[in-house]
Amino acid sequence: MILESYAGIAPKRDLIIIRLLGRRFAGRTFLHVNSTRVGGGVAEILHRMLPILNDIGIRARWEVIEGDPDFFDMTKKIHNALQGKPEEITSSMWEHHFQVNRINAEGMDLGADFAFIHDPQPVPLIDFRPSGAKWVWRCHIDLSTPHEAAAERIQAYALKYEAAIFSVAKFARGMPVPEYVVLPSIDPLSEKNRELEKEEIEEIANKFNIPPGKPLILQVSRFDRFKDPLGVIKAWRMVRKYNDCMLVLAGSPATDDPEGPKILAEVEEFAAGDPDIKVLLLPAFSDREINALQRLATVVLQKSVKEGFGLTVSEAMWKGKPVIGGAVGGIPYQIIHGQNGFLVHSVEGAAFRIRQFLNSPDLLKSMGEKAREHVRNNFLITRQIRDYLSVWAAVEEPESTSIMMV
Amino acid sequence: MEQRGPEGAEGVLFEFRQCVKLLRATGRKARDLEELESAIRSVSPHSIYHHVYEYPLKMIELEYTNDFAHWAGETLEARRLAEALSNIDPYRFGSMEELRDELARQIEEFRKNQSLVQRVLPGEEFYFNETVTLVFPAGARARNLAEFLMALKFVDASSIYYHFFEARNRVGINDFSVWLKDALGREELARNLHEMDLLMHTVSGIRDLIASSLEDELRREIEVSP
Repeated sequence: MILESYAGIAPKRDLIIIRLLGRRFAGRTFLHVNSTRVGGGVAEILHRMLPILNDIGIRARWEVIEGDPDFFDMTKKIHNALQGKPEEITSSMWEHHFQVNRINAEGMDLGADFAFIHDPQPVPLIDFRPSGAKWVWRCHIDLSTPHEAAAERIQAYALKYEAAIFSVAKFARGMPVPEYVVLPSIDPLSEKNRELEKEEIEEIANKFNIPPGKPLILQVSRFDRFKDPLGVIKAWRMVRKYNDCMLVLAGSPATDDPEGPKILAEVEEFAAGDPDIKVLLLPAFSDREINALQRLATVVLQKSVKEGFGLTVSEAMWKGKPVIGGAVGGIPYQIIHGQNGFLVHSVEGAAFRIRQFLNSPDLLKSMGEKAREHVRNNFLITRQIRDYLSVWAAVEEPESTSIMMV
Repeated sequence: MEQRGPEGAEGVLFEFRQCVKLLRATGRKARDLEELESAIRSVSPHSIYHHVYEYPLKMIELEYTNDFAHWAGETLEARRLAEALSNIDPYRFGSMEELRDELARQIEEFRKNQSLVQRVLPGEEFYFNETVTLVFPAGARARNLAEFLMALKFVDASSIYYHFFEARNRVGINDFSVWLKDALGREELARNLHEMDLLMHTVSGIRDLIASSLEDELRREIEVSP
């Protein structure tokens, strides 16, 4: 039983309701459709989630739509426009979007009792839904300040679904279909989050020349301006006047951002000559290294000035580290200020909170414990599976506000 | 709560249930107090219910007693309004409409003395949500006070919320008091639990408080004079 491997890790409550919902939907089919099988948070979660759904008796399937370069160019434009960037999307592009979906629908097995269609790329598939199936549009994109023309085009499709799901309430559109909110999650058994042996952690500390015993301040994020890596170094320099500690900035270069190499060069230049700052450029899939760095850290920062959901915050909190984060994007959902970490609005704020932690081991410990518990209750994959199956139950009983599983 | 078997102190099971909430966005949001008041007057009763009665489910120690007070205090920094809204006891109203009126009235009163309309930045608005509740077994049952105490200590916090907080709206009294009185004949203990001030405790605080009451009762019963 794959679900059993989460026993003692995820809340028992979530495992019970997943099994009960599995029993309710046993033998029925649950189809997911998205546009890529590799890369990105959606594919990552589907890879982990489908075996669990099948394990509890649901016949879960995953289809991926295919398209030509023009299709993916225009869906990238849709993605940008939905996030507020002005993009010119012509009528013929929208027609191509529809036609590519039509061709996919002809060659794809869309037969299922229940389906999640992820993001805008496959949203027109709704026009080819087999009768009797219940379909939900699962939007992972921040739709809070969209370019309206594009949002209206997508909404015209979304309205044909039984419901929509957004990652936080502020992304919802107020459409006349039920809009559920399902927060993202991390997998505690993945390479990035699983428990590590002491030897594994030591090995990685040695690999990166991180000396034992010295307090370690860490930020894991790609090198882009919105993560404010220079601000992190400035904050650390303020702290350094009072406390001996080292700083590690670990991440991969932002390959899809033309400014990426420039930012990295700026960071390296700003950090140059300071042996207590390490700028680690990690290759993709350095999950075990990131896991170990988060466990080696004394205090973790996510000093973003703009952020999507920022699940690296939950990853660090899961390892019992209180995080000092910028009060932007999804970070305030994860950090409850003053209880399991601190939200900051400036370099000075970050420096002050780092010093507070370094001077109060008890605070560090108690907030770290609360941080882990908060993630355990709210940000593990089992909670996301629970919510997805709850949406299925809610879609089948659209008038109910209370569903009795007893 | 489910009762089984014959009436009496022994043999009547208390089956613990627990719940999870699925969040549903209404699409309504407020950027300032005028919009907040207007939305409070017109959103669904389920949304008012969620932002007031389900506040303890946040499972965190906060300074407020509902989401409206929290937003007024933390985002708008309207401290006096936050205090007034926090002081509203939602359990003393006969209907959701009366609670809705009182929330709106407090905001209206506060606005009368405000010369400037303070509007929050995009992203900091108040978002009105509702929930769908899924209720299911907690996997624990008790036949007597000692078993009940043991179960109470390890069930999920959502079980305490469901039986102790949410039951007040469902049946007017918490499920534990009903069982203690009807199944075990422990009227005083049932009354003590009923009189606990829900607003002044987190779910885990209430759990500790109930456990302490049960322990006192059990201790009195097992103590004998040497």
